[in-house]
Amino acid sequence: MSEERLKEIERSAEEIVESFVEAAEGLPSKRETYYSHEVYNIVRPDGEPSPSGERSEFRGRFIEIMPGSDEDGNLKVEVARWVR
Amino acid sequence: MKMLIGFEVHQQLTTERKMYCDCPTNYQDVKPNSNVCPICTGMPGSKPMPPNERAVNAAIEIALLFGCEVITDKPIYIQRKHYDYPDLPSGYQRTSLPIGLNGELQGVRIREVHMEEDPGQYDPTLGTVDYNRSGVPLVEIVTEPDMHSPEEARRFLRQLVRVLEYSGKVRPEAGGAMRTDTNISLEGGGRVEVKNINSVKGAYRAIKFEIVRQKSKLERGEPVTRETRAFLESQKITVSMRVKELEEDYRYIPDPDIFPLIIDNARVEAIRASMVEPPYLREQRLVEQYGIEPAAASVIVSERELADLFEVVAEEIDPKLAAIWFRTKLKKVLNYMKLRAADVRFTPKQIVGLLRMVDKGEITPEQGELVLRELVKRPSDPRRLLQKLGLKRLRPAELRAAVAKVIRANPGAVKDYLAGKEEALHFLAGKVIKLTHGRADPRKIVELLRAKIVGEK
Amino acid sequence: MGEVTKAKLEAIRNGELSAVENIRQALERISKLNPKINAFIEPNHNAISQAEAVDKKLNRGERVGKLAGLAIGIKSNINVKGLRATCASRTLEGYVATYNAEVIKRILREDGIIIGMTNMDEFACGSSGETSAFGVTDNPAAPGHIPGGSSSGSAAAVAAGMCDLSLGSDTAGSIRNPASHCGVVGVKPTYGLVPRQGLIDLAMSLDQIGPFAPDVYGVALLLEVIAGFNPNECVMLNVKGVSYADELEAELKGMRIGTSPKFRELTDPKIMEVIDSAIEKFHDFGAEIVEVELPHLEKGLPAYYLIMSVEFFSATRKFDGRKYGKRIEDVCGDEVMRRILRGQYISRKEYRGKYYQRALQVRTIIREELMAALEKVDVIVGPTVPKLPHKLGTSLTPMEMYAYDYLTAPTNLASICGGVIKAGEVDGIPVGLQVQGKMLGEGEMFRVLRAYEAVE
Repeated sequence: MSEERLKEIERSAEEIVESFVEAAEGLPSKRETYYSHEVYNIVRPDGEPSPSGERSEFRGRFIEIMPGSDEDGNLKVEVARWVR
Repeated sequence: MKMLIGFEVHQQLTTERKMYCDCPTNYQDVKPNSNVCPICTGMPGSKPMPPNERAVNAAIEIALLFGCEVITDKPIYIQRKHYDYPDLPSGYQRTSLPIGLNGELQGVRIREVHMEEDPGQYDPTLGTVDYNRSGVPLVEIVTEPDMHSPEEARRFLRQLVRVLEYSGKVRPEAGGAMRTDTNISLEGGGRVEVKNINSVKGAYRAIKFEIVRQKSKLERGEPVTRETRAFLESQKITVSMRVKELEEDYRYIPDPDIFPLIIDNARVEAIRASMVEPPYLREQRLVEQYGIEPAAASVIVSERELADLFEVVAEEIDPKLAAIWFRTKLKKVLNYMKLRAADVRFTPKQIVGLLRMVDKGEITPEQGELVLRELVKRPSDPRRLLQKLGLKRLRPAELRAAVAKVIRANPGAVKDYLAGKEEALHFLAGKVIKLTHGRADPRKIVELLRAKIVGEK
Repeated sequence: MGEVTKAKLEAIRNGELSAVENIRQALERISKLNPKINAFIEPNHNAISQAEAVDKKLNRGERVGKLAGLAIGIKSNINVKGLRATCASRTLEGYVATYNAEVIKRILREDGIIIGMTNMDEFACGSSGETSAFGVTDNPAAPGHIPGGSSSGSAAAVAAGMCDLSLGSDTAGSIRNPASHCGVVGVKPTYGLVPRQGLIDLAMSLDQIGPFAPDVYGVALLLEVIAGFNPNECVMLNVKGVSYADELEAELKGMRIGTSPKFRELTDPKIMEVIDSAIEKFHDFGAEIVEVELPHLEKGLPAYYLIMSVEFFSATRKFDGRKYGKRIEDVCGDEVMRRILRGQYISRKEYRGKYYQRALQVRTIIREELMAALEKVDVIVGPTVPKLPHKLGTSLTPMEMYAYDYLTAPTNLASICGGVIKAGEVDGIPVGLQVQGKMLGEGEMFRVLRAYEAVE
């Protein structure tokens, strides 16, 4: 994407933000709604891990879509720039 | 030169399943990318499962172990911490708001304790990522920069690791279960954060290197800029990471896919009641309950299993004797053999038997130590070991005969002793010890030598 | 009226029509119509063999699932193992889904047959169906006009008879908007009713997967299959064993139906004409029409765009090109980039309070307003979109495009349910009536939709 086009996109992105500031002016402060309903402490017990059959099937598909992998099945990514 | 050192310690919790999925956590035992699923590899559309309950409880317990105030009756959000790095499958790390605040250990303030998930394993040199580790639950402990020397920092970190291992809720430090980000700043310079440190030893080396590096810059009049560096274990140096990915603004938002946690007081008290006694409290109690020296108590509580063993033994044997033995001889043997108290295979009954023999004077302390060494190597009834080593104590007549023999065989030394050379006596004593295979008390040997030589004069 | 889906199901169950024949017909229609309509990105080449398996069960007299033999199109942001979940973007154009979304598992369990992956606005960032990297989708009910978005392909596919049912997703109207423009039935369920495991996020706290069908029965049936608690994700409602299809009654007597003057303020008068006569009919059914106040409704739109931009920015951090696909910023279209940049900007530490948190406060206001209204009435009815769908190729500014969402975004902000059914036409273009119910108020919502359908 060209520098120019990016700048135009950035500029147009701001319009709705400005529109929001206008719309929110004068509205009362309220508690923020982060979640659709107020529920707490939904947790999962520790225990027997997932079956290995499921995981090896997924592993096959995962490795297949990797842009690059080594013979052990590691994902190949960039080498760190700060390594000498 | 004034310096401030602080730590952010990340340690893996002992759970069977990962934090947000059911994958197993034994990442070191399996092929790369086999303990994975769509969730811990950040597949498009994957959503976290509810957080691992055991991990949450472990984090609460650890917060209590460090004397933190646990945050109760207020929502604790799991947040998304965004940054770009190859080992982070979703481009953000799920990290909780603090679970505990304002703790303390060994005079160093603990700012907070919270929960996170481990990223995958990135090899920066090879350029590979293995997500087996991705999603393993971590506890993070953040200290204030209250340490002012590398030695102090090392001492603290060692103790911190001990306390964590005490809880039984973390994987042992050895083997990469711990990662410590270390902050070092010298007076007049900016704060430098060093990452990629996996051991107490590494932290010490990194700190020492940084101090030299920062000091020389300041002395040359160059500024020490605030930055993030990486510790290279093999070369024992730190290098600048110079990565914009690790910029400070993580754009934290509460994770919309995970409901917050609220901890109530009842839960905290239940955990407090069932948790292991923290080392500093146990140390105090050992001194008060058994009347042992604080220095001995400190060594004994350094490992939970050592303290557990001590308390069992102290019911049958004079605690003060037991304390001396645990502090000196047992610890010495364990260190020499590079074993932890948890690895000991002899039974309490066996060590009680040994100490009873020492207490009654049936064997010398030195003989006892030899038996102890054997006991650690090949646990067995101490009397049997004693026989096997041929260490039964000499009868008085046998000892007198040996003393006489050595005196006859070393006239020169006898003469030297009579001339006033005290060392000659020790020389003779050594000969007797060798002759009797250590089966006699050295103090008795010296006594008899002195008496015989002077007597025969 | 409203018997199409039921008739098809019965035909398959009776043996009048085999599953294989149904699928073959669907695939034929797709190959014939898709070049013009472009509703599908990728047909499922395994569909015939899946149909064969269903026929085998039928022939053996075995029990079959609720969706037995039906051809179902899936929006391209939902993971179907073995098919590409492209999100209509170059970012994921090669991404072959490695797992099945939970809703797909449920469809397969009920013997539904996935016929293909449908077209959409890129990463669901749109309301027109024009931003796909794989070409625009046409509106079968109003050719030459946009089908709406972002679930453009799923709506168009049903409208053109290319499949029996389809799934879309709705964040600010992405099911309801195309349902209205294409003249089909579409429902956005209560937030937390349908599992999102496997749905590629637009905005996590607002997205819901929902059904399209030619009739209310079809939508109710598909919804009851996909809805219900999933223990493998967190933010779900603890609802199990829902049933809608067999409870569809058209009785409206005694129901209180709400409508707001605010709708008239915001909407094209030609659309309101259609809506007004629809509401008249409810009056005739014996329902009580009540006016409700929604004074801040239009503020929901800008608040929505701020919240969704922050969440979308977060959601797209995983598209770094390392594990699969390409880095999103390298290949995405303008609107996707616009939302990423906006989200990146307003989630900065120093702006969070002013923008993100403030928007979440406005969300509370909208939510409270709608919930208060729904205390007074059983459902709120009104227009779905404030203006008619434009002709394909018309140039709109981003703000003009966002304006389509004025009447639908508040539903998502309040986490309540909303369904759309065709109420009439303006110049040959379908106009949909939107029926909003309270959280888990799908029962009332379906009643009203069904009653309306029964009359037509």
